[in-house]
Amino acid sequence: MFERFTEKARTVVVLAQQDARERGDSAIDTGHVLRALFAVPDNLAVLVLEGFSVRQADVEADLAARPATAPDGSAADADALAALGIDLDEVRRRVEEAFGPGALDRPRSPKRRWIGGHIPFAKEAKKALELSLREALRMRHNYIGTEHMLLGMVHGEGVAHDVLVARGVQLDVARVIVEELLRGRRAG
Amino acid sequence: MSEATDVAAAASSRDPAVGLAAVAALRRLAESLEELQVANARAQGWSWQQIADSLAVSRQAVHKKYRRIVS
Repeated sequence: MFERFTEKARTVVVLAQQDARERGDSAIDTGHVLRALFAVPDNLAVLVLEGFSVRQADVEADLAARPATAPDGSAADADALAALGIDLDEVRRRVEEAFGPGALDRPRSPKRRWIGGHIPFAKEAKKALELSLREALRMRHNYIGTEHMLLGMVHGEGVAHDVLVARGVQLDVARVIVEELLRGRRAG
Repeated sequence: MSEATDVAAAASSRDPAVGLAAVAALRRLAESLEELQVANARAQGWSWQQIADSLAVSRQAVHKKYRRIVS
């Protein structure tokens, strides 16, 4: 689906992947994509967010304040292991006693993440990208730009949606701003 | 509830979703512990052969799996 992406939109995807890798995350979520949007200079998505007075620093702070989602589903694992009479917290405690804090959840098997440099998209991020295509089609655009990616994230679910909506970003208003901005660009 | 009754409950659960999730979680925990312990063993100067013997796998298997993560 990336063949319709503009150069800037592709850059966002690449930067989101880099961000996920640097953070040792096992999937690209919408938070990585949102951070990446701000990292690409002079793009429409950031202009739209400016229209809502949403600034990079606010978004960074909001994202940082959210508890990291356990990439390996360790909460679900804890429940499953409890069913076998294994207390994951106790295992973790004993391991950390011997090896120090975080010994059990240091980034695992970096080679698996590094092969081909490929980190998969999380479910919500994939969905948001699909929605960005839908937003583009809706506006009769034959490309997907950063503005459509932003609309896709506002439209969809995930951390980016939560952060943006909490900051007052509304989908219908955002669509109008995008169309206004594009008109301005075409005119000038 | 005691551990024994918990285990009995899980073992007697005929719900595949419960049983299989427990197996998968156990495998992930074992993988994490294995990686940690292999790194520890290497850090303490163990040879790949010694590690392989302790894990009851071949030296090639353990070396292939961990050489990139553990020096």
